Amino acid sequence: MLRFFLARVAMAVPTLLIIIALAFFLMRLAPGGPFDSARALDPEIAKNLRHIYKLDRPLLEQFWFYLQSLAHGDFGPSLHWRDFTVNQLFATALPISVALGTKAMLLAVLAGTALGLGGAMSKSQIGPRIVDGAALFGIVLPVFVVAPLLQLGFGLTLHILPVGGWNDGAWQNQILPVITLALPQIAIVARLMQAALRDALAMPHIRTLRAFGMPGFHIYGHALRAAFPPVVSYLGLAAANVLTGSVIVETIFGIPGMGRYFVDGALGRDYTLVMGTVVVVAAAVLLFNLIVDLVLAWLDPRVRYESRPG
Amino acid sequence: MNEPAPAMPISFTAGATRNWPLRVSLFILGSIALLCLIGPLVSGHPYDQVYRDYVLVRPSLFAHPDASEIDNAIAAIARRMHVHIEATRDGETMHLTLDAEKPVDPRVLRAFARSDLFAPAHIAATEDEGRRLEIDVPLKRMVFLFGTDANGRDLFTRVLIAGRISLAVGLLASFVALTIGVAYGAVAGYAGGRIDSLMMRAIEIVYALPFIFFVIVLVMVFGRHFVLIFVAIGAVEWLDMARIVRGQTLSIKQRDFVAAAEALGATTPAILWRHVIPNAAGPIAAYLAVLVPRVILLESFVSFLGLGVQEPLTSWGVLVADGARNIQGSIHLLIFPALFLGATLGALQSLGDGWRARA
Repeated sequence: MLRFFLARVAMAVPTLLIIIALAFFLMRLAPGGPFDSARALDPEIAKNLRHIYKLDRPLLEQFWFYLQSLAHGDFGPSLHWRDFTVNQLFATALPISVALGTKAMLLAVLAGTALGLGGAMSKSQIGPRIVDGAALFGIVLPVFVVAPLLQLGFGLTLHILPVGGWNDGAWQNQILPVITLALPQIAIVARLMQAALRDALAMPHIRTLRAFGMPGFHIYGHALRAAFPPVVSYLGLAAANVLTGSVIVETIFGIPGMGRYFVDGALGRDYTLVMGTVVVVAAAVLLFNLIVDLVLAWLDPRVRYESRPG
Repeated sequence: MNEPAPAMPISFTAGATRNWPLRVSLFILGSIALLCLIGPLVSGHPYDQVYRDYVLVRPSLFAHPDASEIDNAIAAIARRMHVHIEATRDGETMHLTLDAEKPVDPRVLRAFARSDLFAPAHIAATEDEGRRLEIDVPLKRMVFLFGTDANGRDLFTRVLIAGRISLAVGLLASFVALTIGVAYGAVAGYAGGRIDSLMMRAIEIVYALPFIFFVIVLVMVFGRHFVLIFVAIGAVEWLDMARIVRGQTLSIKQRDFVAAAEALGATTPAILWRHVIPNAAGPIAAYLAVLVPRVILLESFVSFLGLGVQEPLTSWGVLVADGARNIQGSIHLLIFPALFLGATLGALQSLGDGWRARA
């Protein structure tokens, strides 16, 4: 198990490096610079600014600088919010996004599993159809349709929950964003879970358990273990999806998380800020994939010894 | 290695009943596509026509203007012309009597033509040295089935125009993704060995790159041009397709007919084109039906962030984003585009599910 873990980590590190390089040079490929504005800067000032931020050095040298400071855990100064370093910006924004993301994922796994289990347990054809149909809704309704409808319903009409804002993470402010983020994931997890459970329930070992007259929870316990791998593999992808969804959700609900730095940073050519977000997100995705691999290996010993199937 | 035999249906009647979602989805998709193609031609409103007198009109089946709109418009015109107006309605024409202190300059009657409610007025009688005018003003009849937006543009036409864009983006971007993905996957799977594992590693790397970042950078590099949105989205969405095709290729290349083609001296591109890709068509088609809605959704994400289609052109994503901003007061701006978007995505999704279940 330890060897498996180390091999996976050894693969993740170069991947992260390549992503950093790719993002770094792609970003510089784009026309425009961080100090462009409607009113042209004085050339002397622009030159000084570029000098201060080392933007006048050769690109490779800049990249080397960036890697060095990154190795010290320093994302560098933000080029747009000039009084802040990227680390300072992230220090307030990241915990907020993480809080929303983890809650949404947790909700997605719990509710999705419950729904999938419910659909798979139903003896008739109706149960699975209902779950599939409801899931279809969850998948096709874009986040930016769900969010305003929730705002209208719970905020403006019923006056139960605040329409937006963060309010230092008060639980009332978190409910709607978390639900919005989780909804499509609940739908996908429910579908996957239901399909996997139905396959699992048809397996010979379950039939044997049934033949022995085991109680229901015992049977479903075994079936769940067999059904989890595809769901767990999806969760790695789901992490990435929740992250992208958060860009929209944070915009709509006015939450000061990481989401806005993505778009604002890229449009404002705030190189260090965008690089910071890319590094954080890529690291998060890789970390999540690592965890997924470990969980899969723990659930299914075959994975540990085989090379990863394509 | 043969492909697994398709699972036997459990009951023979299940096939017929299970087919109805497929038919319903096809019907919905067909009608939406047809509506988007023909609708803007017959709706009577250009998609970018601004009706200043009809801002945020509610959806209705009845033609505008109604009685209160006429009264308001006439009152407004009377104020601007500094006259007193007596109005009587006769079917589709208004008979107006203008009274003023000074003689009325007939040129001010252009105010009627400029309004979106009336056709040009013509003078029936002049009395009292021009201080009293009798004029006939025909009404302009307009139907706003879905109401109008905050700029006074017909939402029905705009939703259909947006549908054209969204569907076109969906199809073209999927085509881009299909081309890249199939070529990449087939080459990787057929080459095998080190090349294959290297190419798959590259895919893993791009996977971990946040795709919003990717799209934003592409948009930044190429500018916010309409055509480039397809390319940008297609360039992001080919990864899964490549994996699927590679997996298929791995099993197809071990079949006998490939060995036969090799023995006959067929070149590698010919084998890929004639044997490998056609035999992978089933899974490719099934995934394509899932890909198209994903692309449409991605386009609306990009447009929602203001990076996609630019005004006055529009897409469902843009309209929904607009509607979300105006949710309090004019919910029709959100409901109609969201309905079209949701119906299309739902139909495509269940189409893909149906195909996959058959494949």
